[in-house]
Amino acid sequence: MSAITTSQFKTEDRWERAVPVFGFPVVTRFFLVLMALTLVALVLTGYRELAGLGPVSGMNDAFGWGIWKTFNVMVLTALGSGAFAVGIAAWVFRRKKLHALMRMALLTSFLAYASGLLLLGIDAGRPWNFYWIVFPWKWNMHSPLAEVAICMSIYAMIPLAVENLPPVLERLWYFDSRLRPGVEKMEKHLHSVFPYVIALAYLLPGMHQSSLGALMLLAGERVHPLWQSPFLPLLYVWAACFMSFGCVAGCTMLCCLVWKRAMDMDVLDEAARITCGLIYGWAALRLLDIAFREQLGTAFHFDRFAGVFWLEMLMIVGGGYLLQRSVRTHERDKMFMGYVLSSVGGMIYRFSPTTLAFRPNPQALYFPATIEVLVSLGFIAMGVAGFLFAVKKFAILPGPLYLWHDMASYFRFRRPYIRWTGYFKYGFFGEDEELTNNPHE
Amino acid sequence: MTGGTAAVAVTVGTGTLHAETEGPRIPSAAVGLLYDATVCIGCKACVAACAEANGETPDTRGDSLHQAPTDLNDLTRNIIKLYKPTDGTPASFVKRQCMHCLDPACAAGCPFQALHKDLESGIVYWTADKCIGCRYCTITCPYHVPRFQWVGYNPRVTKCELCSHRLAQGLKPGCTSVCPTGAVIFGPRTVLLTEGKRRIKETPGRYYKDKVYGETDNGGTQSLYLSRVPFDDLGLPELGEESVPEKTLRWQRRFYQYFALPALLYAGLVQVIRKSVKGHVEEAHEHEKETGLRAQL
Repeated sequence: MSAITTSQFKTEDRWERAVPVFGFPVVTRFFLVLMALTLVALVLTGYRELAGLGPVSGMNDAFGWGIWKTFNVMVLTALGSGAFAVGIAAWVFRRKKLHALMRMALLTSFLAYASGLLLLGIDAGRPWNFYWIVFPWKWNMHSPLAEVAICMSIYAMIPLAVENLPPVLERLWYFDSRLRPGVEKMEKHLHSVFPYVIALAYLLPGMHQSSLGALMLLAGERVHPLWQSPFLPLLYVWAACFMSFGCVAGCTMLCCLVWKRAMDMDVLDEAARITCGLIYGWAALRLLDIAFREQLGTAFHFDRFAGVFWLEMLMIVGGGYLLQRSVRTHERDKMFMGYVLSSVGGMIYRFSPTTLAFRPNPQALYFPATIEVLVSLGFIAMGVAGFLFAVKKFAILPGPLYLWHDMASYFRFRRPYIRWTGYFKYGFFGEDEELTNNPHE
Repeated sequence: MTGGTAAVAVTVGTGTLHAETEGPRIPSAAVGLLYDATVCIGCKACVAACAEANGETPDTRGDSLHQAPTDLNDLTRNIIKLYKPTDGTPASFVKRQCMHCLDPACAAGCPFQALHKDLESGIVYWTADKCIGCRYCTITCPYHVPRFQWVGYNPRVTKCELCSHRLAQGLKPGCTSVCPTGAVIFGPRTVLLTEGKRRIKETPGRYYKDKVYGETDNGGTQSLYLSRVPFDDLGLPELGEESVPEKTLRWQRRFYQYFALPALLYAGLVQVIRKSVKGHVEEAHEHEKETGLRAQL
């Protein structure tokens, strides 16, 4: 633990460059377990398509939505809103230090959205009718669910995918010097459309993350008054902001621990400061909203709703306090715990209105069935496996400058043949000048 | 949708909503049901007639012998339930089927308009070709009417469509054609409303709050109810005069009106981000010269 808590931060440990996780194989025992889980989920999905939703899930007439929607989509896309929240802080509010975390944010977002959207297609009872999505005049423009379905698919397929291109192009650039002119041309085009794509990448999630909250507005009084509020859309998108900061920064810290990288406390402090502010603002808005609707009394009833409410609030605000403290004292374990607590609290908050605090009738019960849980887990495993693959093959995780040079010498030593195949020319910038048309020269 | 469009017609300039004064549009030839719970004897003839009229197999899943569904479900569009309090206050039967709201929440939430309100008759229809099976209607309907078929690869959403195929033949809906006491009658909404009010006037004190449920509740419905016991106990919540979509989606609708605000927001974002990207690219290239390593953007 002392390795985490000590804060001997050296200037050469500053995160200056995204560096792939080198020296670790992609296919590990854990990776194989993830693949097995994914495979099981895909097979069960086939069964679900034939049998219908009833036999594979705990969903019923009262609880029409199960964990595929309420957890994998509602909760996990909130964790995967990093591209939105961290991106806005970095690009719109110009918190320049956060650019170090952007590739992590973009990757986690893409994986969370992709896995959520796939599961959304499996959760839909009549998925073949999704083709109406290409006829805008058939959309119900005022339906929050149409907004979510359309906006989310467009977001994940266009702006988010385009934003994730630079690491892929970069990898191609280093892969073979003959690809460089083409890659550089593509990058130039990409940079010219970037402002428009990035702006779209903030507008769309802002819309659908709030619409996810607006979904439950139509359910009216069946959602417990501690959650049901006209501010539900705002609270939802706000919760997604601090949760995704927690997901991005927390995941980065965890990766640094696992793969023994230096942590740049300047960047992490900046992220923690913003997260902490977001958390306090969110908690204040929520409490004020409950107080103004005169529902504060229900928080002191002795029932499960009050229990869930206090659990959420204590976890989120407690996490915020830990973050605030860690910024002051540079205790990394406190900071990590702060992120975990606030994100898990946020997850419960995003889960509650559809499930824990949803009361269609007094007798109604919902508990996910085994197959439902396995499929849900399998799609999460798919995302995690994709993450492990991507950070090892692409430059995603931030690292200090010396790590890049370490990687270059690692590959020179471990794979001498790369010198003459042109494979993996890390650290040899401009080596093949005669082959490349380098505009930066 | 139609109720919605009328309701969100924002007067440009003043920014006031018509809906606050007018309420949802009432279809020109709105038809409906009037159910008088004080007359109903609970014989359930309408339940069997409904299944027969809609070509559904009788729901005998309870004891595999009797058609005895416990609630509305994928085979049951219409059901008779008994409300029997334990404290000795009056009991009552209640017939549950689609209310055909003037501003239906199910249609307001339906992403591709699979549930839509007919402009003339006001019947809320379900279209198989447009339904993606998201089950949002089962969450949004304040009366919890639409039901999803949980078994099978081609699930359907089941709800009362006022036997529109029988109406086309000049027949009445299945439930009203068999009711022995006339507890449920079919007709134009205006006629039913007048009839309901006449009954209240004839026997004052017989009906709860001397009120026809559905006249204004939830913005008005086309299935109207008369009852001796509180409507809330019969599963008809007191929702106020404003319809659920109007009440809950007001700000959502204003925000997305003509897509104007999102477009404005987008234009602003582009301006800010253009400047940020320019600065960031310059910095990255400077860093590239410093370190001799290719810029990462």
